[in-house]
Amino acid sequence: MSDTIQLSADQCDCLQEVVNVAMGQAGDSLARLLGVFVTLSVPKIEIVAPADVHRIMEGKYVSVARQAFQDGKGKHGLRGEALVVFGDSSFRELAELLHYDDQDMGCVAEQELLLDISNVLNGACLTRIAEQLGEELFYSPPSILGQGERIAQMLERDNLHWESALSVEINYKLENRSFDCDLLLLMPDSAISHLAGKLDQILEDL
Amino acid sequence: MAALLDDALRDVIDRLDVGVFVLNRELEVLFWNSFMVANSGKSVSEVIGRKLPELFPELPELWLRKKVDTVFVLKNRSFTAWEQRPYLFRFQHNRPVTGGVEHMYQNCTFIPCRKDDGEVDTVAVTLQDVTDLAMAHRALEIARDRLEESSRVDGLTGLFNRNYWERCLAGEFKRSRRSGSQFALIMFDLDHFKPINDTYGHLAGDEVLRAVGQCLRELIRETDIAGRYGGEEFGVIAPDCDVDGACGLAERIRTEIEGLSVLFEGLPIHVTASLGVAPYSASIDSHEVLIAHADEAMYRSKNEGRNRFSVYVSV
Repeated sequence: MSDTIQLSADQCDCLQEVVNVAMGQAGDSLARLLGVFVTLSVPKIEIVAPADVHRIMEGKYVSVARQAFQDGKGKHGLRGEALVVFGDSSFRELAELLHYDDQDMGCVAEQELLLDISNVLNGACLTRIAEQLGEELFYSPPSILGQGERIAQMLERDNLHWESALSVEINYKLENRSFDCDLLLLMPDSAISHLAGKLDQILEDL
Repeated sequence: MAALLDDALRDVIDRLDVGVFVLNRELEVLFWNSFMVANSGKSVSEVIGRKLPELFPELPELWLRKKVDTVFVLKNRSFTAWEQRPYLFRFQHNRPVTGGVEHMYQNCTFIPCRKDDGEVDTVAVTLQDVTDLAMAHRALEIARDRLEESSRVDGLTGLFNRNYWERCLAGEFKRSRRSGSQFALIMFDLDHFKPINDTYGHLAGDEVLRAVGQCLRELIRETDIAGRYGGEEFGVIAPDCDVDGACGLAERIRTEIEGLSVLFEGLPIHVTASLGVAPYSASIDSHEVLIAHADEAMYRSKNEGRNRFSVYVSV
């Protein structure tokens, strides 16, 4: 745990609530889109230091798609990176749901599927978090951060230039399918302060 | 005034060197800019009001419908990237002369367009020509592959260099330890190599090494891994091979090298080799120990008169 930036207990509860509502709506959109029921976990919110990243996903070997988000207010606005972490999921089932031609489910098609799913999850969830905070977010195109590696390995490959980051971990499961993935929202210090301010506004309005 | 601005903006979008088109939920084309006209060969009047998959039968229709649906339902941008999907439309590239590609590489973004009430009724698609980027990326990959290759291969003999070969041996050692499969290691050294260098010069020595390398590459199975271990010392890893198999291989190597006639400045040079065979066994601690075993057998061949192979015997 870092001691530089912390969210108060109230702010944490409030964020939890915002994320819960967003996830519910995101799950609903996904269910409509994919035609299957989506189960979501209770989000795990914590502040991590660069030294803690190895704890994320407990060192499992995963494939990760990355997408940046920002509110267009520059350095001190809401911004961060959303990682969608895939374990040994059944890509074939997912490919079927998104109408990929299963003949060409090679490595490249699997990558495109990862990117597509990430974009859908991020879009569905983040847009709704932002809406509640009264923000509009812009997203970069998603890209592959790594495949079949540990997440800490991927993150540490580039030097980490932040003191602490807010991590929101959400697990998605599709009913009756073996598919399972985690959405990880990471926000740097400056964005945490901004977020804390927004949460205070919501708390005042209550 | 507003109309004027609208016209001006429309003109800008129309002339962008990026493809821009707009679709409704039924995938009917509502807007088609001049980039799209120029590259598709289909005019505005030909496409407006018609369904995209009918206009371009080569488009993956189901996938495209899902992609566009996602944008409508989630009100969220969606993307395609050339790394995974090289192109959406099979357009010609703009390198008809310099060439090197078959089609235009494309990055596309699907953008939801909201009406005043916040509902999304159309999707705008931008299409970027990233052919040059893709080409540069590919050139880089080819260069990287060549570099990787050259960092593994010994330039003179065309065999793997010591570093890479030893890594292969370590890998094979671990694999056998895990799976219990057998393999054998053959090390050999050319006999009386120094006098060749001293008599005919280093270029002659190089010629001999090159010939041995080529002979070895032609001789071994596809699964065997041959490397140049040091000056005139070589190693062969023979996976899934028992002692008898390895002895057969060692004898073939010996006779082939004995039969070589290396021409240098019109003169034939002959050379022989002393070989050592060491089979893997679970009691061996590391691949270094296995090399020591093969070396020991090789020195016995030297001591017993050269141009022969010996098998390592544990004492």
